[in-house]
Amino acid sequence: MGGMTNYFIRRILLMIPTFLGITIVFFFILQIVPGGPLEQELMKLRMGAAEMGGEGAGGGAGSGFGDVAIPEEALEEMKKFYGMDKPIHIRYITWLWNVVHLDLGNSYVYSEPVWDTIKTRFPISIYYGLFGFILSYSLCVPLGVFKAIKHGSKFDTTSSLLVLTGYSIPGWALGAVLLVLLGGGSFWSVFPLGEFRSEGWEDLAIGAKILDQFYHSVLPLVAYTIGSFAVLTVLMKNSLLENMGQDYVRTAFAKGLPEKRVIFIHALRNSLIPIATNIGQLIGIFLAGSYLIEKTFNIDGLGMLGFTSILTRDYPVTMGFLVIAGIIKLLGNIISDMTYAAVDPRIRFK
Amino acid sequence: MTKPEITEYKSESLMVKRIRKFRTIKRGYYSFIIIIFFYALSFLSPILMNYKALVISYNDKLYFPVFKYYPSQTFGQDRYGEADYRTLKQQYKFAGDGNWVIMPIYPYGPYESLTDPSSEPPNEPSLKHWFGTDDRGRDVFVRLAYGFNISLSFALIYVTIVFIVGISIGAALGYYGGKLDMYAQRFIEIWAAIPFLYTVIIISSILRPNFGLLIFVLSLFGWIGMTYFIRGEFYREKAKDYVHAAIAMGASDLVVIFKHILPNSLVPVITFGPFAIVGAISALVALDYLGFGLPPPTASWGELVGQGMSNIFSWWLVVFPLLAMVVTLLMVVFIGEAVRQAFDPKEFSRLR
Repeated sequence: MGGMTNYFIRRILLMIPTFLGITIVFFFILQIVPGGPLEQELMKLRMGAAEMGGEGAGGGAGSGFGDVAIPEEALEEMKKFYGMDKPIHIRYITWLWNVVHLDLGNSYVYSEPVWDTIKTRFPISIYYGLFGFILSYSLCVPLGVFKAIKHGSKFDTTSSLLVLTGYSIPGWALGAVLLVLLGGGSFWSVFPLGEFRSEGWEDLAIGAKILDQFYHSVLPLVAYTIGSFAVLTVLMKNSLLENMGQDYVRTAFAKGLPEKRVIFIHALRNSLIPIATNIGQLIGIFLAGSYLIEKTFNIDGLGMLGFTSILTRDYPVTMGFLVIAGIIKLLGNIISDMTYAAVDPRIRFK
Repeated sequence: MTKPEITEYKSESLMVKRIRKFRTIKRGYYSFIIIIFFYALSFLSPILMNYKALVISYNDKLYFPVFKYYPSQTFGQDRYGEADYRTLKQQYKFAGDGNWVIMPIYPYGPYESLTDPSSEPPNEPSLKHWFGTDDRGRDVFVRLAYGFNISLSFALIYVTIVFIVGISIGAALGYYGGKLDMYAQRFIEIWAAIPFLYTVIIISSILRPNFGLLIFVLSLFGWIGMTYFIRGEFYREKAKDYVHAAIAMGASDLVVIFKHILPNSLVPVITFGPFAIVGAISALVALDYLGFGLPPPTASWGELVGQGMSNIFSWWLVVFPLLAMVVTLLMVVFIGEAVRQAFDPKEFSRLR
């Protein structure tokens, strides 16, 4: 077991250079490119000053746009606020130092610690992540098993068509179509037009709360599920089929075991291994939330936050989002490998 | 001196066999033919769907406005700028003095605002505009058709670049191995951990991307997937006898890599091609949907969906573009499935 422990310690240590690599790339992209928060702020000030000046002078000697002088001190102050008064590598090191001390900085837009901004989005992500996860596994695993047992049958070929279609539809696209058809815009009004919950949800009775939440979640959950539907079903099917051709299955049949027992007790257990290793990605539920789906359904989740932070040039939030996303993704990979090693005794990492 | 007759061994015979197998898989083969046909046809869009007349006979002289600009006065119209050819056709018909106009089959252009004083765009599908018009009054059907060409061209160019880069790097790593491989692997690990769509959005939000820049930015991240497969293939092939033989005969590294090993390692390249195209098209549609894709007024599927989501009553802006995308992607997936069956068949032996 020593080799394995070593392996995972090495893997966890390898996260450090990877983490540094990702954050350096993003930090430099965000800081070097024009149109950053400081420029935007300055532009706003200039526009404001130009407008006010125009009013005061009654449009007389229009002093022109943009050459409104901003006091040197104010400029310095602003530079300091955005941390632009130091060279970029110093800024990165300062930022990193703070991150190591669990301080992601303050959001420019929300004027609160980045962590607090991100934290409030977690419930939405976990909600969709968890239910989407449960839904797709409870749908895809049985379907994959059934398709493998009935390999080559009519059911298998027709459901394959369904799976391929599912593969060709991005989740957000299906969501958009369903929303237009069922959201009451043009045709039937079955489900609400997006949002996480209705307004005034807090004041509802408990039964109504659950019902409201349910109505709001149906379409987004379908959109989330379709994303992994095809891959997971095919993975399950192929995995079981592969095991059905193995010698140990031959042995089981040879000693006269009934087919059901061979499939469900012997073959299925081994074929669940690649599925089980996906469990590591379960940690991803904290982050679940594609901004495409959230934008489509107007859900104010984590993906949306990361997306709008780019638009509003709220770079501390962008970086904070990336830090958390990066760590969760890297940890997920390691947990996946650990599960793999735990479930399958043949696997030895070194 | 006469050279002894050498019967050349045809190494493509396996390839021929695979292609023959591919052609027997009907769903994929027909999808392939249909896609190729429509893609070729889509290059003719300017003469199939346009607001400019194909041929005009005016006072016994022929004009070809599709290919050349004429001021409206040329044809006796009194407008500022170019003639309104659709009206012109009606005028000539009404006047009946031997002049005539031949319009394209679908006489609307992709950038033309067809505003109608009686109603505000977007307009519902009608006989005139099969899929309706968008929020600037442009014909959705025409924009979908032009968008098909752009999406597919985008995907094909992107996949070609990504494959060339991915294959070269993967081949180098697999062939030379050693330190180069180790350092490059670490680098790739970092690079692969970067959330790429997010990065593309950041870059697009700052530099207004055009077709080339968007392909470049996507390619920066897209090449990684292919390197894994090619690297693995090269590791395996490198140890085989024919490679040792080639090296012993004095073949240079480049010759060994590209002439000897590469043709034997192409299976993953070919089988992943269609799926890479699917990925590229959906990425482009998603970026256009978010507003970080091709610059306006490029005809784009994703941009129409974006409009549709802000005009929720205009279902045709969402349903038709996404239908176009799904049908296209589904056909490419069919091709991919057939290619995989033909090139890399997986036979499952079922014992009972």
